[in-house]
Amino acid sequence: MTAIPMPVLRTSPWSKVKKYALPIIPFFLLIGVWVSVIAIADPAIGILPRPLKVLQVPFQEDEYWPNVTASLGRLFIGFLVAAVTGVLAGIVAGLSRKFADFIGPLVTAMNAISGIAWIPLAIAWFGIGRGMVVFIVWNGAFFLIFANTVLGVRMVPEVLDRSLQTLGASRLHILRNVTFPGALPHVMSGLRSGLGFGWRAVIAAELVGATSGLGQWIFIAQEFARADIIVAGALTIGVIGLIMDRGLLAPLERRTIERWGLVESSA
Amino acid sequence: MTAGNAEAASAASATLTVNGLSHWFIDPQSGSTVHALDDINLAIQPGEFITVVGPSGCGKTTLLKILAGFLKPLAGEARVHGSLITKPGRDRGVVFQELAILPWRTVRRNIGHGLEIQKVPKDVRAKKVAELTDLVGLRGFEDHYPHQLSGGMKQRVAVARTWASDPEIILMDEPFAAVDAMTRQTLQEELIRLTVETKKTVFFITHSVEEAVFLGDRVIALAARPGRVKASVQVPVPREGRTWETMTHDPSMAACVEEVLGLVRGEHEATLASESHANADAEQAQET
Repeated sequence: MTAIPMPVLRTSPWSKVKKYALPIIPFFLLIGVWVSVIAIADPAIGILPRPLKVLQVPFQEDEYWPNVTASLGRLFIGFLVAAVTGVLAGIVAGLSRKFADFIGPLVTAMNAISGIAWIPLAIAWFGIGRGMVVFIVWNGAFFLIFANTVLGVRMVPEVLDRSLQTLGASRLHILRNVTFPGALPHVMSGLRSGLGFGWRAVIAAELVGATSGLGQWIFIAQEFARADIIVAGALTIGVIGLIMDRGLLAPLERRTIERWGLVESSA
Repeated sequence: MTAGNAEAASAASATLTVNGLSHWFIDPQSGSTVHALDDINLAIQPGEFITVVGPSGCGKTTLLKILAGFLKPLAGEARVHGSLITKPGRDRGVVFQELAILPWRTVRRNIGHGLEIQKVPKDVRAKKVAELTDLVGLRGFEDHYPHQLSGGMKQRVAVARTWASDPEIILMDEPFAAVDAMTRQTLQEELIRLTVETKKTVFFITHSVEEAVFLGDRVIALAARPGRVKASVQVPVPREGRTWETMTHDPSMAACVEEVLGLVRGEHEATLASESHANADAEQAQET
């Protein structure tokens, strides 16, 4: 017997490092460009701040953290309301093909309207402050979550529904055991993009419709030519968005859905 | 053909009866009305394994949908023990061609799903599930999710789930059409064993004549456009102990396959002829 020795196959330890470390490089490239521009053009501090100055903002400005938490609080409330109403309404609408077709064009139209367009009216309705920002966040996230949930419900194969009917299942049982879990991949992607758009909506609404929050802080900083605050605020918005998406929703999606083999990993 | 008279005579004792069933539907592409089923009459006896074979377009799936209660026929009726079928029911289990088990449930929870719906106590359910898991050869895979199983194993889960909730009649819609040929033969032999053991009344649809003869007590050959019963052929060998091994060496089985094949092939050629005829008509219509 001349057996070929079995090769030892293992995944390279580098693959994990590559997956998480390589995407950091573009961030450093961006900082590199930033530093070079400053070195070459030497712009006024009010035009483009030094990276180090920006980095100091969270530690030196007392208003930084209260503004971050104010924005996050509004996002949380608005998103929560949008998630609950969007998923519930989406399931109800998705159960009837006729109703889904009936309501579809309106939802697409509403989704196409940038949330900022409602800000003047929202101020008239809710005044300046939290209520108005929460409304704008809800508006930014609801239609996305709703449309994705409807799609998810419609995509559940009818045969699953039928097979449970033949086992004597009630409507409610089918809703809980087929419709909802079947729609979950689309619901999750609706929630992911809803959270992203909700976060943008917070900042936009705060620019003019609040007395606190990152958006308002950035807006005020302009009057004092505090470019460091503006850039620090903007970068904070980006980092929070990244953490929410990759740190919060992507792992949740992986744990529930990929175990069932419904979707391949996307993040 | 005296099949119709025989059906009528045996209808009184039958589990499942179909009387004067006709159905039409609108072809979504052409918008024209298709005559799917034309005056179907059947009587299926308790414990009988009926296979229905016919060319595509003979309305066999439409017939199964009506028996399952997913579709209301436009004329005639189908009854279980004399009561009219109007909606799906626990008395009629269905094994579908497509994957119909839940991807988010493990094998164990899929097989026990019907019992869970019936609110069968947990320990009784566990026992029944274990029994069926063994019967379909899935021991050791209880905690796997469907995406971790092969196509043949997934269909075994679907079969076990249907059997677990113990329906009187089982309707099967080409359940093995999507698995590879080797696995299909194993599944067919397993199905013989399972049905002989549990004495279920089975209504099994297929487009394969060999499968129809191998599995059935009786084979119903359907004609197409409109779908109607062409003949009912009794399979000469008892189902107990049928295997593909004996099947290939038994001349009476081979003769039965030939007979049904003749019926279906004649039908198939007629379908092709009418199709090409229809196409020629359509072309002519376009030219003018």
